[in-house]
Amino acid sequence: MILQGLQIALESLWSNKMRSFLSMLGIVIGVGAVIAIVSVGTGSTQQVTSRIADLGSNMITIYPRALRGQFGRLSSDSSQWKFTLELAEHIEIFCPSVKRVIPIKQLNGRLISDEANINTTVAGTTVDYTEVNNYEVAQGVFISEEDNRERRQVIVLGSQTAVDLFEDDNPIGESVKLNYNGRIFQFTVIGVMKEKGGSMAGNLDEWGYIPLLVAMDRLTAHRYVDSIVAQAYSSETANNAVKEIEYFLKKYLKDENGEQFRIMSQDEILDTVSSVTNTMSMMLGGIAAISLLVGGIGIMNIMLVSVTERTREIGIRKALGARNKNILFQFLMESLSLSSLGGVAGVGFGWIATYFLSQYGNWPFIISTISVIVAFGFALFIGIFFGLYPAMKAAKMNPVDALRYE
Amino acid sequence: MSTVIKLEQLKKIYSLGKVKVEALKGVSFEVEEGEFVSIMGPSGSGKSTLMHIIGCLDYPSEGKYFLAKQDVTRLSDDQLALFRNKKIGFVFQQFNLLPRATNLRNVEIPLIYAGIPFRERQKQTLQALQDVGLSHRAQHRPNEISGGEKQRVAIARALVGNPSIILADEPTGNLDSKTGQEIMNIFQNLNQKGNTIILVTHEREVAHYARRIIYIKDGLINKDEVLV
Repeated sequence: MILQGLQIALESLWSNKMRSFLSMLGIVIGVGAVIAIVSVGTGSTQQVTSRIADLGSNMITIYPRALRGQFGRLSSDSSQWKFTLELAEHIEIFCPSVKRVIPIKQLNGRLISDEANINTTVAGTTVDYTEVNNYEVAQGVFISEEDNRERRQVIVLGSQTAVDLFEDDNPIGESVKLNYNGRIFQFTVIGVMKEKGGSMAGNLDEWGYIPLLVAMDRLTAHRYVDSIVAQAYSSETANNAVKEIEYFLKKYLKDENGEQFRIMSQDEILDTVSSVTNTMSMMLGGIAAISLLVGGIGIMNIMLVSVTERTREIGIRKALGARNKNILFQFLMESLSLSSLGGVAGVGFGWIATYFLSQYGNWPFIISTISVIVAFGFALFIGIFFGLYPAMKAAKMNPVDALRYE
Repeated sequence: MSTVIKLEQLKKIYSLGKVKVEALKGVSFEVEEGEFVSIMGPSGSGKSTLMHIIGCLDYPSEGKYFLAKQDVTRLSDDQLALFRNKKIGFVFQQFNLLPRATNLRNVEIPLIYAGIPFRERQKQTLQALQDVGLSHRAQHRPNEISGGEKQRVAIARALVGNPSIILADEPTGNLDSKTGQEIMNIFQNLNQKGNTIILVTHEREVAHYARRIIYIKDGLINKDEVLV
């Protein structure tokens, strides 16, 4: 009975090709949209995730809380000055999951070459900076421990900074001036970094890098840094490292509520990013699911027309011995065929759309299996749900009246 | 000879709002196996209602109807469908073939609902088309053949399940007189081969192909006449 119902259904759909196609279109677009949106969401999330992982391995960044005044008065209890090099060393010593720490002093100044000058950020840091950030030198060398100890006025340029200052010329060995707070310092370029792109802190390509102690002792007389980057031994120990640092800082800063510092780990950023993208794709997927529902209503409409149009056929079939359930099945099969064929076409459509979108957006081509199963299952459900009423209407017809129908 | 159809005081009352219309006011007769009976009457006489009840398409309001010795007034919708499928072969004035299906598929329908397997179905369908001389039209569709041929396909469809009775409702009504004669000759032939035929018509000449005529008027039997 199933096969025979299916055959009758397919024959009747085939004889109304245009109408079948149009009523299927709602399902095709609905299923395709759900799959494409969820898949694109998955692909772009994965891309963002891997980008964040690229930022540096097992990186934990510790900031002092920004100065916050109350009732117009600056809080005297600012913690910024507490972020000293000793603090950084103590973190490294007292937190067993932390492999090493890199203090960073960030300064805004004007870099001046013979040809050009730019406003930029100059970071005072140490030799480990490159490894922790997965950041590599393209030309020359990075700051060495000796450069730092000797407070040599050397600078490594970000790739964009190098182009801005020297265009196509080789900058290694050239000297640049740094105008910081109205004072001019002379620096020698010893290296240029590879391209890296955006990071949590900004576009590293547009920065310059100088020895930490030069930034602290020569450029400023500050005893504190702007942030401390801690590197955990592995991604498994990263969470432990966060807890250890938090515990240590609360004790060390006598700050039971953790009000004076802020710890940002990669995991935390990943969680935030993926929860945002998940919410987005769920929401868009939901909108697409509504179009599936509308497609289902379209199928119901067509099926009702089809039942009315074929009243006589129903009468004939009943006269020849079709039971109510034969008729019910025939029409149910028809709507189910419509929605499942539409579903299959929709999967293909979603697949192709995802492929082209992923090419265009440059993220990995991933088809979300869950979305395929859910969207297709939903399409089948819609076929049954919206097909049931017209099919029942057909099955309940009185044969005498149906035969008389003109 | 056994009785195929037995009607006992059959009544059909339609209620149209408050007005009740008595289409059949108590009809009783019997039909033996192998008979060729015409039911004749003017329009509005109740002959269509009678035909629907005999054809198990409708329930009587009162009275009893035995088809092949079984009381069908007590049957459910599904059981009636089964009786229509096994015991009755319909031939309609409007042919009532499915326009999109081939003649072969049209004739096959009763066998599909009877659950007969494909090969057996194919064999019986081709045999029925051969019996009405239309094997060469098996793959055509109803709109590709003439009216007379359509009615022959319909007769093949009525025959194919080997029913107890063939019930023909004005089978020549949509045909010219020459084609009508051909169709009536087919019915006569079938009757001679032993098929029981009940013919509903308002045309005297058509009715006279039968061997017995039951006249209906105003929901009652007016005259029951056996022709010599």
